[in-house]
Amino acid sequence: MPKTGHFILHSNVIPTVTAGRYELVTDQTGLPFTVAAERTHVIVASPRYTMPTDQILSTFPPANAEGAFGDRLPQIVLKRRTLPWERNPEGVATPSSIPWLAMVVVAEGEAQLSSATPVAQCVTEGTKLLDAATDKDVEQGLYLAVTETVVKKIFPCKQDLELMVHVREVNIDDTELANGDDDGWLAVVLANRLPVFDEANKKPVRYMACLVNLEGQLDALPPPEPPVDHFNFALAQDWRALATIDPRIGPDPRVMGGNFAGNVALPAGARASRRSDRATRAPNAAIEYRAPRVGSSIDGAAAMNDQPVSGQWSSATQHVNTVALDPDAKRLVRDGMAIGFRLPIELFAREKVLRFPVLAHWSFTTNEGATFESLMRDLDVSLLGSAPAETPSDAELVQTGHIGLDHRSRRGDRMRAWYRGPCVPFPTKRDQSKPGEPLEIAHSADQLRRVVPDGREDLSYAAAFEIGRLLALSQLSIVSALMRFRSEQFGAGRIRRLLEEIAAVKLPSALDASVDLSRFVALGMMDEMVINRTRIIGPRRPIADPGRPLDVRGDLDEIIATGLGLDLAAIRKTGDRVGIMAALEQTIAPVASKDGRIEINKQTVLGLNNGLRTELGRVLEVAAPAPVIRAGRRRGAAPQADSLDALIEDAIDDEEEL
Amino acid sequence: MPKYVDSKIAINAVVSAVAEYKGLVKDHDPDDGDHVTPGEIRRFLARLRLLHGVPFSYIVPDADLLPIETIRFFYIDRAWTDALVQGVLSVATITTVDRVQLEAVYPHIRNEVDEAERAIRRPKEEARLQDKGGTITGFLMRSRLVSGWPNLHVRAYSRDVIADDALTTAAESHPDRMKVLRMERLAPAVLLVLFDGVPAVVHIEEPRQGIQFGVRIAENDPPNQRRVKVRDNNTGDPKPPTDEFTAGNSVVVPFRKNAPGVINVTELRKLLAAKAPNSGGSLEPNEYALQMLRFPYRQVFGDPKDDEGVKFFELDKFKVTISLKDWKTTVSDSIVKVNL
Repeated sequence: MPKTGHFILHSNVIPTVTAGRYELVTDQTGLPFTVAAERTHVIVASPRYTMPTDQILSTFPPANAEGAFGDRLPQIVLKRRTLPWERNPEGVATPSSIPWLAMVVVAEGEAQLSSATPVAQCVTEGTKLLDAATDKDVEQGLYLAVTETVVKKIFPCKQDLELMVHVREVNIDDTELANGDDDGWLAVVLANRLPVFDEANKKPVRYMACLVNLEGQLDALPPPEPPVDHFNFALAQDWRALATIDPRIGPDPRVMGGNFAGNVALPAGARASRRSDRATRAPNAAIEYRAPRVGSSIDGAAAMNDQPVSGQWSSATQHVNTVALDPDAKRLVRDGMAIGFRLPIELFAREKVLRFPVLAHWSFTTNEGATFESLMRDLDVSLLGSAPAETPSDAELVQTGHIGLDHRSRRGDRMRAWYRGPCVPFPTKRDQSKPGEPLEIAHSADQLRRVVPDGREDLSYAAAFEIGRLLALSQLSIVSALMRFRSEQFGAGRIRRLLEEIAAVKLPSALDASVDLSRFVALGMMDEMVINRTRIIGPRRPIADPGRPLDVRGDLDEIIATGLGLDLAAIRKTGDRVGIMAALEQTIAPVASKDGRIEINKQTVLGLNNGLRTELGRVLEVAAPAPVIRAGRRRGAAPQADSLDALIEDAIDDEEEL
Repeated sequence: MPKYVDSKIAINAVVSAVAEYKGLVKDHDPDDGDHVTPGEIRRFLARLRLLHGVPFSYIVPDADLLPIETIRFFYIDRAWTDALVQGVLSVATITTVDRVQLEAVYPHIRNEVDEAERAIRRPKEEARLQDKGGTITGFLMRSRLVSGWPNLHVRAYSRDVIADDALTTAAESHPDRMKVLRMERLAPAVLLVLFDGVPAVVHIEEPRQGIQFGVRIAENDPPNQRRVKVRDNNTGDPKPPTDEFTAGNSVVVPFRKNAPGVINVTELRKLLAAKAPNSGGSLEPNEYALQMLRFPYRQVFGDPKDDEGVKFFELDKFKVTISLKDWKTTVSDSIVKVNL
């Protein structure tokens, strides 16, 4: 593969077989028995009537472009390197070094591009093609209809053909040259005609480049002629007058000629009568006769405005640009580029009209004699701020690049002031501040106004300041970004410094994501409280208090007996006799009811039952409370443990110890 | 520890915050690291420094400064673009604290925007260039070249390292090549280009739409004649002398009689074969293609060796050519301090 930026040119890459149908017959010898021949059929396919778009890598000049292309040969670059040699233009199956493809460039009015036509009719009648019936890539194709005169003038000679095609090998990594090819081998088809500018009339010329199939029609190509060393622009044959014919005229007048044809001047080879030819010349006819043009109605395009034919050049370019936006662009763009090349030459030409299948076509306009080179050479080179040398300027320019402009002061006085834009003719110093000193910055435009010794103001920097301010104010997002930058970031820093001055606490690192001051204070407090727990919070309360000492005064037996309503002296007395337990048994304890009996009736039972149920319910509620469902739970990770958590854990530990 | 905040404490806080600005404020940008200035503001200011959005009448205040069919080289006045930036920063500075803060942060902003200028235009697969801000130069071109040839190639070199007719070129990050900071068509026919530095040589090249084949017009020939310069068949180099058309190094293109612009290819082949070195008496199709090759035209400005015979732009023109006396009479020291 060649180096990046380099390429290799090859004369041709001829395939071993050409496109067509082949029969593969096997024949095996040297065996003791005979082997039946195996017959297989192979079809070598190749484009014939249309070029698949994925095979076209690039074209020059660009399609629909307008420019000074007069010194460049139009070309088309094809991706498959063997494509130009995949058929033999002689109409036989053997490979040949003469390509079957040629690039033909026709000017507007010289030839007719057909609309979609069955491929059998795309070649001149009587042309012998190899496998014409079976070998066709599409059913309908386009053809270029040209008179013999035109063929003689602009088509390449047979000898020219092999020079007009070559193969280029490029590095596929070099995007500038390879442009997205897969293997870096490209076939290039060049034209033989320079798309020159109409120097005599100073008019742009619209050309159409067609990649045509020459199969079987090599004999129609012109013979070599003695060369001349210059050219003159004139159309090979001018059929543009056909565009002015009234389409409502029937076929008879067309064939008979005369005034019925609309008094248009046709080329010498046309069927129109000589009389009309002499009567009017083409330019007059084109201007005077105003009727819908047959050219536009034949190809199905919408009726166009009544304008001179030359007006079509620019409108065709615009039309293509318009239809390129259409969803059906692929078809319409091609169709649009054929505007101006749809003249019904075949209907009018008296001489033989030849047809060549067109595989690809595009149009472009050569608009001027000026080339890139000549424009570049004529460019006036200077430094900005200098007045043009040849034409005196009324601008007030000085050598520093300042320009005097009208200025209206704030008081309303009309004055002149100096101004100089950002582009100056010599290097300037950036700032006036001395090294070590802080950079000077202006806070308002007035700080940048200067008065120069001639008494006038120099408003350059003040104007720059003001336009910068207005540009910033015109963008809300920038204003808010500036405010954020100022208040959030710097403001926070300022508050931090202030806090450090007044509060003797260590603040966390300045560059932490964000500091929540209240939380920070709470945490600091908590730390302090944990460290000085006894001093700040106080001693901890024990889990269980010691019991209260009972206040017992006097004899315990007596107190108990009094409490139970017993006669202690009587019990003791009896106890002395029978023992204290027996004495207690014998003693009748006093009861609350009057006669020691409780009256039990229904009502009492019901009351007791209710009391019991209520008490039971209360006890149960305390023992097993109904579950409470909370609506929202706190989300997120567990917060970082702080001193409060430590304090609580500490307390739990203490409990367990007890 | 004071029990209250007095004005002295408040001012001290501002002063110390200002002194440690860089430590206080940090904007993290995933593209180009940490800066004091937020990326949004940095990029806006850098674009503004490259004159994005500045009305054209502020750049060229009078049409006479840029007539049709001209190219005007210039230096960017950093003081002017700094004033532009200061105007932006002045938005919503209300209090003294705001202005103290702005003065403190301005050096950071200026340096960081200097760096950001180089990141505004960064072609694919080009290395990121980063350095302190330097001189910016550029040119404005108003011509049919801009409208008729979209996608012009513009390259600037600090040293004249590329041969004037070389096909290849150095990458934009190559040390000898100047980075293009901005290249934009301000109007259909006005092109603005800014370079990062003072170039020695500027190349402007026709757009490369593939390789082209064609003929040339010699200066003294009639307008309906064309010539082809012959090349050495072995090397592809043009036959000397390269800068002019002579009978020895070029052939007059033979045309077909009565046909507009149709080249007699067979005859041209014979003529070229007779003059091209190492042709062996005849030309193969690939050799014919080699002879017809036409590289995109390249205009060279500032080339000290004027090989192509093109109008060249002297390097001296980038220096001040004004005498001290004249200069003093027009503008005083206080406005423009020029390095003389």
